[in-house]
Amino acid sequence: MSKFIKAFLFASIIFAPFAASAVTVASWGGAYTESQKKAYADTYTDPGAIVFENYNGGLGEVRAQVESGSVTWDVVDVLPSDAITGCDEGLFEDISAEIATSAAPGPDGESMLEDMENNGLEYHSGWDCCVPQIFWTYVVFYDPDAFPGEKPSSMADFFDTEKFPGKRGIHTWATGIIEKAMVADGVKPTAVPTVLANQTGAIDRAFEVMDRIKDDVVFWSAGSKPLELVKSGEVVMAVAYNGRVGAANLAEGENFEYIWEGQVLDQEYLCLMSGAPNRDQALDFMFHASTPEAQAEQAKYITYGPMRASGIPIIQNNEPWGPGGVDIMPHMPNTPERLAVSIVSDPQWWSDYGAEINERYSAWMGN
Amino acid sequence: MEVIISTAELLTTDGIPLKQSLKKAERRNKIRAFFLVFPLLLFIVVTFVIPIGDMLMRSVDDSQINTVFPNTFEEYKKWDKGEDDLPPEEVYKNLFLELANGDKRQIGKALTRMNYAKSGWKSLIKKTSREIKKIVKKGEEPVSYKDTMIEINKFWADPTYWYSFNQMVNERSSIYYWNALDRTYNEEGDVILQDENRRMYIKTWIRTLKVSVYVTFFCLILGFPVAHLLANLPLRYSNLLMIFVLLPFWTSLLVRTTAWIVMLQQNGVINGVLVWLGILSDDGRIQMVYNETGTLIAMTQILLPFMILPLYSVMRVIPKSHMRAAQNLGAKPAMAFWRVYLPQTIPGMSAGGLLVFVLAIGYFITPELVGGKDGQLIGHWIAYHLKTTLNWGLCAALGSILLFVMLIFYWLYNKIVGIDNIKLG
Repeated sequence: MSKFIKAFLFASIIFAPFAASAVTVASWGGAYTESQKKAYADTYTDPGAIVFENYNGGLGEVRAQVESGSVTWDVVDVLPSDAITGCDEGLFEDISAEIATSAAPGPDGESMLEDMENNGLEYHSGWDCCVPQIFWTYVVFYDPDAFPGEKPSSMADFFDTEKFPGKRGIHTWATGIIEKAMVADGVKPTAVPTVLANQTGAIDRAFEVMDRIKDDVVFWSAGSKPLELVKSGEVVMAVAYNGRVGAANLAEGENFEYIWEGQVLDQEYLCLMSGAPNRDQALDFMFHASTPEAQAEQAKYITYGPMRASGIPIIQNNEPWGPGGVDIMPHMPNTPERLAVSIVSDPQWWSDYGAEINERYSAWMGN
Repeated sequence: MEVIISTAELLTTDGIPLKQSLKKAERRNKIRAFFLVFPLLLFIVVTFVIPIGDMLMRSVDDSQINTVFPNTFEEYKKWDKGEDDLPPEEVYKNLFLELANGDKRQIGKALTRMNYAKSGWKSLIKKTSREIKKIVKKGEEPVSYKDTMIEINKFWADPTYWYSFNQMVNERSSIYYWNALDRTYNEEGDVILQDENRRMYIKTWIRTLKVSVYVTFFCLILGFPVAHLLANLPLRYSNLLMIFVLLPFWTSLLVRTTAWIVMLQQNGVINGVLVWLGILSDDGRIQMVYNETGTLIAMTQILLPFMILPLYSVMRVIPKSHMRAAQNLGAKPAMAFWRVYLPQTIPGMSAGGLLVFVLAIGYFITPELVGGKDGQLIGHWIAYHLKTTLNWGLCAALGSILLFVMLIFYWLYNKIVGIDNIKLG
């Protein structure tokens, strides 16, 4: 072996630990992570320092890393119920003090947390360990060509197969669909979380509504499925992640219509792993990614809405905001008028009752 | 000539008794053999024995919460449920103190655990903890801890929350196994059935077994003729045919699963052809995917090579002359096949059947994608609890039951067919 190769191998062994000092962000992959790369990593002072890794959600891997003491991720992109559990269990580091001092304030001097509250959110313990990302929603959409006459426009229509015959596509877990059923039963969308939490028998009520369409349901479990189902005519309407529908409309030339009423907004957070190998830089990146500007930037690449209220005006005032001169606002889930007919899913309630309801949902599905 | 047989010990040329010398050589060989297999042993221990042991431990372990609320649980055990509706003051007091002084993270973990026992624990404790911290900060000691806690939140007067403690007071518990079988504890600590609308584990277990057995059966029915053909065709043709078996085998699982969706869905290829032929009306399209049927069809196709390959390798070495000899001796072809050929393929059928069954019973991704409303197998719930609810105890119990079921089938198989009678080639 030549001396050069030997020297090279030796050097690479010595320097390998240093080369791996980039901040690792675990996220969901696909178009979503692409948009994060463009909006957050590429605009960061040192784009090379951020590496994205794909994972499948949930806290399984997070807990395994923390419990075994070999933490390789720095930042994890999680759902709010996981943010809460992870923060409670100490899987994520409590950074509430850093958030208070270092998170970028909104344009009127409001703190980041106030900015989030302006968007209809309430404090939960996930806010101690995580910074906000985007709102994504479970929204019902349809192909207008499938309805030559009157078009469906409400949750009541979605759960009414006599008025609008045809199959419906819904997902194989309960989150989102329970809330929609409550709206179809006449509950005011913004009041749904309160009713679910306080009214005995509310869940039974939701299941009764869902029974109306049960024989006409096609269940999906992968996010790309509802679009295929509607496109192929397998179903006439489906619940989907709004970002997927937006991408089909903006990038693939589809003409899907949304039913914004009864959309269920869910949150997305970036949390700091306990014992993150590159803690300080990871924190710096998290604060960069949670500025209103960065969040608005993400909307350029995927139609999820900024979780900070002050992100929306940035998009509004700069239309056409999307690449290629397209308007983004028609696809944003959290404009004030859409928020008025939406449900902001309550992660604390779901982390309390999620397991029980999902078991019941599964039993309902199989019957 | 007389042969002299020495009665003295046999010696080697070095003068050491032969017996001893042989023993020494043998021992050296044994040590060498041990070192040769040592990496394998280590591998098996690290990747097999330890994880399975860990899983079995986790399925009965409930110690974490016992280290967080030791005094509360101690007092709780003294509560006579027949006498008082609510636990005595001491229970409230100890819980109050343990919440006030406990480590936040440990309590957080315990909360996750408590919420499995009864939904709602998480919020209740978190809300109460906040208030307790305020009281402690003020430095005042409550006159009655019971009244204070009930004042903080009315659910502290709800005995059903307290009853759920029954599931957690022991460091070793079988509650996860009961949960995995749709059962739970009542306030007396007796095992009862879960709420009716939540019962689905038993159903899922039965479905998992049913699908696995069906898939194994269909694989055998479909795989046997193919393997027979492969083994008996001239090499030229059989190689080509083999490629048809192997090509899908090498193709990505996701691609094959998705292809089945395209084939089977209501607006898919098969329904389209049937409607075009006039066999089905346009409204009468059959639902063949997103249900149990879809799971069965897709899994059968995906696992088929695991049946064909062992069958083929066994059939290839069965001499053709056997069948001819049997017919020569007067057996009709069917009888010759039944009495002479088939018994010789049993090792292949066993190997293939066991392989397919073991793979099917723990299958995850295909049922997840094509299962839809009633085609999910038990793997779905293991993944759900592993990732979403973090209920690893229940996960471990589900996994252990799967292991026990497998061992029972293995035992049965050994009784009926005999484990020596298995052959992969």
